[in-house]
Amino acid sequence: MSEFEPKIITFLCNWCSYGAADLAGVSRFQYPPSMRVIRVPCSGRVSPKMILSAFRKGADGVWVSGCHPGDCHYISGNYYARRKFDVLNEMLEYVGIEKGRLHFSWISSAEGVKFAAVAKDVIETVTKLGPAKKFIKKLPEVA
Amino acid sequence: MDAYTDKIKEISKKILSEGKVDVVIGFRKGTLGYMSEPYMAKSEKEAENLVFDCNCRMNLVNYVTNRKDKVGIVVKGCDSRNLVTHIIENKIKREQLYIIGVPCTGLADKKALLDLAEGEITSVEDDNETITIKGDGFEKKVAKSDVLQSNCKTCIKRNPVIFDELAGPEVAELEISDRFADVDEVEKMSADERWNFFGELLSECTRCYACRNACPLCYCPTCFVDESRPQWVGKSDNETDVLTYHFLRAFHDAGRCTDCGACEAACPMDIKMRYFTRKTIKDCVEKYGSEAGMELDKRPALDQYKINDPNEFIK
Amino acid sequence: MKMISIKKSDWAGAMEKVQKSYRLAGPVKEKKGHTFRELKDGETPDLEYSETRMSVKEVVLPQSEVMFSYSLDENKEGHHILEEVPFDETPRAAVGIRPYDAKAVEILKKNFMTEDYKDPYFERRYENLTLVGMAENNPSPVNFSTSCGTGPFDESCLDIILADAGDSYIGKALTEKGEKFAAAAGFAEGDSGVEAKLAELKEQAEGKIKSKVSFDKIEKMTILDLYEAPFWEEAAFACINCGTCTYACPTCWCFDIQDEVKGKDGVRMRNWDTCMSEVYSVHTTGHDPRHEAWQRTRNRFMHKLKYYLDKYEDGIMCVGCGRCVSQCPVNIDIRKVCQQMNDYEPSK
Repeated sequence: MSEFEPKIITFLCNWCSYGAADLAGVSRFQYPPSMRVIRVPCSGRVSPKMILSAFRKGADGVWVSGCHPGDCHYISGNYYARRKFDVLNEMLEYVGIEKGRLHFSWISSAEGVKFAAVAKDVIETVTKLGPAKKFIKKLPEVA
Repeated sequence: MDAYTDKIKEISKKILSEGKVDVVIGFRKGTLGYMSEPYMAKSEKEAENLVFDCNCRMNLVNYVTNRKDKVGIVVKGCDSRNLVTHIIENKIKREQLYIIGVPCTGLADKKALLDLAEGEITSVEDDNETITIKGDGFEKKVAKSDVLQSNCKTCIKRNPVIFDELAGPEVAELEISDRFADVDEVEKMSADERWNFFGELLSECTRCYACRNACPLCYCPTCFVDESRPQWVGKSDNETDVLTYHFLRAFHDAGRCTDCGACEAACPMDIKMRYFTRKTIKDCVEKYGSEAGMELDKRPALDQYKINDPNEFIK
Repeated sequence: MKMISIKKSDWAGAMEKVQKSYRLAGPVKEKKGHTFRELKDGETPDLEYSETRMSVKEVVLPQSEVMFSYSLDENKEGHHILEEVPFDETPRAAVGIRPYDAKAVEILKKNFMTEDYKDPYFERRYENLTLVGMAENNPSPVNFSTSCGTGPFDESCLDIILADAGDSYIGKALTEKGEKFAAAAGFAEGDSGVEAKLAELKEQAEGKIKSKVSFDKIEKMTILDLYEAPFWEEAAFACINCGTCTYACPTCWCFDIQDEVKGKDGVRMRNWDTCMSEVYSVHTTGHDPRHEAWQRTRNRFMHKLKYYLDKYEDGIMCVGCGRCVSQCPVNIDIRKVCQQMNDYEPSK
């Protein structure tokens, strides 16, 4: 298990967290390379279908990061997203997905340090949980 | 609830003859003693076929989506809340509707009736206290509370929230002590136990989509399960696809579901998919204090926000 | 034709024995009642049931069946080629199916095994399948099989028929396949009284069936007359267009072919489809000839009760099992619709 390097799908808001990831890179903050970043226009754009899709395709973790409350480029996208994510997070745990596979954060484009710290935290948590086994769509077995 | 039938007929005939509505959507007697069929009366004569009883399990709001004419509709408390959501979501206009409200004392569970029957059921009578199941050579009386549909046991609004006329006097609302006992029970399990619980729950699902199609909230022109670009979910009886379908369906209804129970009543395999939707109801009530469809000027929980919504789950 | 008689107490033993050479499917009691499915080793088909929600269709036309597999991974042998999926050739038997469900298999055959074309997936499942029927002494109130050219004791499409005669099952091996199965199970030979007893039970059971359909006049009407009949919108008003009736129906044979891909590997499979769904009929152009919900409902009844009747000239595409009637969430009743069609008088 020590060899396990998780695959984490990361949805980053174009206006903040994506910039933070960039800043973290430019500033040479170190964090493990387990993330696959998808840039989205707003955390409000992230549909539950996308998150489920990531899990269905075998992601060990999913992380969505957007702008701090009040800072949304589109005024209120992240507020709507917050309710949506809260209910989704609860639902996923409810059907038996382990706590700690799905993460959310608010990171502004100035917070390169926070980005690296949260990335580390997310990766550590998911690594501890081990490879995902639930909600993965496998091809039908061919007898 | 049989007593409402006459009043519903009377109101329907009146509004049809006065030209207030073009049609009245209600129920007529089914071919099976324990079923009533959704029905649209277009004339006074046809209005004579309307009935209301404890077998009216479908949610008629399903049938008014996007209608352009003037519609009379028979609604129970829960259905009326769906009507509110429909009006908020521009699926029908209030001005188009003549709402015949039914103060509801609950529906009879189809499976429970069939289990009690000793042969073919020819009729089910309901006087709000006792259900009389009559059939080929038998007659059984049971307390209505013993055969209620499970959603009716935790009903928070038996009287319609919106109506033009009631089919009977308002009934007392229930006092429920432990509204989400079933959801709590599942939440107490470990993650693996929950995973197995839901796997078992859905094991017989054939994806006939009766639950989706019985639901007035499911009015998307193309459901995500039918989309092919991107294809969110496979089309086979694969267990992950089945779970994805039920999971996302419930999520789409989050903050809008009124727990009318039409989905479960429609299921040919008796799958209790309300375990999913009830979790969303619980969360929306506990986190946002929001009950679906109670007021015409209050949007569904996930279609509004407050600056100080719970934020603890976000880093 | 061999008579069979087996004590109920010996049933489990016989089934255990037969499982050495057959894979079985049959009714099994589960939490919510009986289901019909493939049995695991050691599971006994439970003949003491009244109905199964799903029919024997699953055994010859599974809800989802993989047809081919393929890989685009060039490191794998046979990449870029559709590989046929291996098939377990062990003989199979569907034990305890209702005689009218066997008739449904015969109807499916009309679609999948014609003189010109044989569907290999259906054929291989059908050819090695023995149909062991369990006659129904107490047909359900929604059963109208006797008016569909079959019945609770119909022997015509079975390999073996069994019937409940108190503390034993009696019956007949009707075909060679049936005799083989009877031998493998070690069914004891029944005495001369079996035939008479079967006839007696049959008469009783058929007498209990009160519900009927007639389609004698549908035959004489034109397709267009019925298609344009004025009652469809009303008859189909309640329909929510779910797939309940089509999936429960033992004769509904429509399927949809889908590819599923993961990484470089994929499979081509076919799944049950339902004409109740909008995606069933919508064209790639976006045009949908059956856009309105009631049009799809009309199509189902027209197919079952008119198009099939005209094309095959062998009755209707319905065996009267009553599953769609009892499972329909809104109580659309094929008996009533059939009556409506039959009673219709087109204005000249």
